[in-house]
Amino acid sequence: MTRKDVTVELRARERVNAMLFFAALVLFIFNFALGPDREKLREVAPGLLWLAFLFTGMLGLGRSFQAERENECFEELLLTPGDRESIFFGKLAGNVLFMVTAEALILPLFGILYNLDIWAYLPALALVALLGTIGFSTLGTLLAAMTAHLRAREVMLPLLLFPLTVPVILGSVRATEAILAGQGLGEVSHWLKLLGGFDIVFLVVSPLAFEFVLEE
Amino acid sequence: MEARTVVSSAPWVSEEGRGRFRSSATTKAFGAAAVIVLATGLTLGLLVVPPDAVQGQVQRIMYLHVPSIVTAYLAFAVVFCFSILYLWKRELRFDAVAVSSAEIGVVLTGITLATGSIWGKSTWGVWWTWDARLTLTAILFTIYVGYLMLRTFAEEPQAAARYGAVLALIGFLDIPLNHMAVQWWRTLHQPSSILRPGGPSVAPVLLLPLGVMFLGLVLLYLYLLSERVRLERLRHQTADLRLKRGRRG
Amino acid sequence: MGSWAFIGLAYGVALVALLGYLLLLKRRLRSTQEELTALDRPVERRRG
Repeated sequence: MTRKDVTVELRARERVNAMLFFAALVLFIFNFALGPDREKLREVAPGLLWLAFLFTGMLGLGRSFQAERENECFEELLLTPGDRESIFFGKLAGNVLFMVTAEALILPLFGILYNLDIWAYLPALALVALLGTIGFSTLGTLLAAMTAHLRAREVMLPLLLFPLTVPVILGSVRATEAILAGQGLGEVSHWLKLLGGFDIVFLVVSPLAFEFVLEE
Repeated sequence: MEARTVVSSAPWVSEEGRGRFRSSATTKAFGAAAVIVLATGLTLGLLVVPPDAVQGQVQRIMYLHVPSIVTAYLAFAVVFCFSILYLWKRELRFDAVAVSSAEIGVVLTGITLATGSIWGKSTWGVWWTWDARLTLTAILFTIYVGYLMLRTFAEEPQAAARYGAVLALIGFLDIPLNHMAVQWWRTLHQPSSILRPGGPSVAPVLLLPLGVMFLGLVLLYLYLLSERVRLERLRHQTADLRLKRGRRG
Repeated sequence: MGSWAFIGLAYGVALVALLGYLLLLKRRLRSTQEELTALDRPVERRRG
């Protein structure tokens, strides 16, 4: 499943390019919108980073079932060998892969634009990014499937996903903030536990829920 | 409204006679009881009970604000239960209760937000603060408004019911996680304002109007729920009839 | 704004919201009932 998505994408390249360009744009525009005050920018930098990650992730999620929707492949999907849960995990893996790739490219750009030493804290930042991305993508994949053939789907996906992923957003930003301020992961262990807990709960529940979503 | 496919669970959908147009006696009883109890509660809360030593009279808003959010939580718990029931049994009457309860829950949550904001303005001078309680209520409101919108945009009633049920499940699981996240977020900035209806900070005598108002709102909720479910049932009957008429040509 | 004005505003908003919802509900009930009755009649004629 993942392989299929990835090969389709590598051929198309649309999605990753769009995501990256959008993320870069977001980082730039924030700089203009928030003014030249270096200190202020540093304070809000972790939030800006995650805004870039999340908007980019949102774009990717919105497209993750687009191919199926456009080509009416949902029926094909249902006939694919393997149970619905594998389909879900395949889609999820694809989404996580894309989002993480985008993040890996956004992070250095972010370090440069906002003058932050990300390299010193890379492992910790990567861990937080991974936990957050998994949480966001798990619910995101489920909701993307649900909203794929709705009217006003572009608006429904963010509207549904963002309130539900507030724990992920808060946890990721707070943890990133602490890391960039030089505090160790120990300081924010409660946030990491929340992120981990969130991930586990929805990794278990979403594939089950996905079965209900795919019924026709 | 074009003809849609509706799974007819026969007793729910068909019921000859005009009986189906009238609210049942139970419903009317709920309504009457609600009015009486709420009137009592309002009298107690607004007139009988003494004002707060610190906040003065405006503390009386609590007798509306707190019962309304607790009743909203009750409504959303009902949405959760009946969503599970629907996914399990696939009977439309369960889904009818779920969507009805969600609608009323959204109204109550909206009231909680408005009264919370007004209370805040009267005590702190600002219409909004990002304190834990208000923020969580706002998130809750958004989640269930999303639920209602999702159902509206789904093309078939069964898809609407199914997607809604899934979202309700996810939402309910998400709420405790939201609570933790938002409270941890706020406790760094100010003392936590954890929702504690009738907690240690409230004097015992004030629990009475609180309890009465809560009972009154629950009765009102039950009344509104019965009427809203009746509407849903009529809608299903209409859709079913339309479908049958369509077949006959 | 006086204390009682705030109290009045809060309870007033709630009253308007709840009554408004109830009235809207009644209206929806009425229109669905009309729809259902309209659909019902030709069927009854056919039977009769």
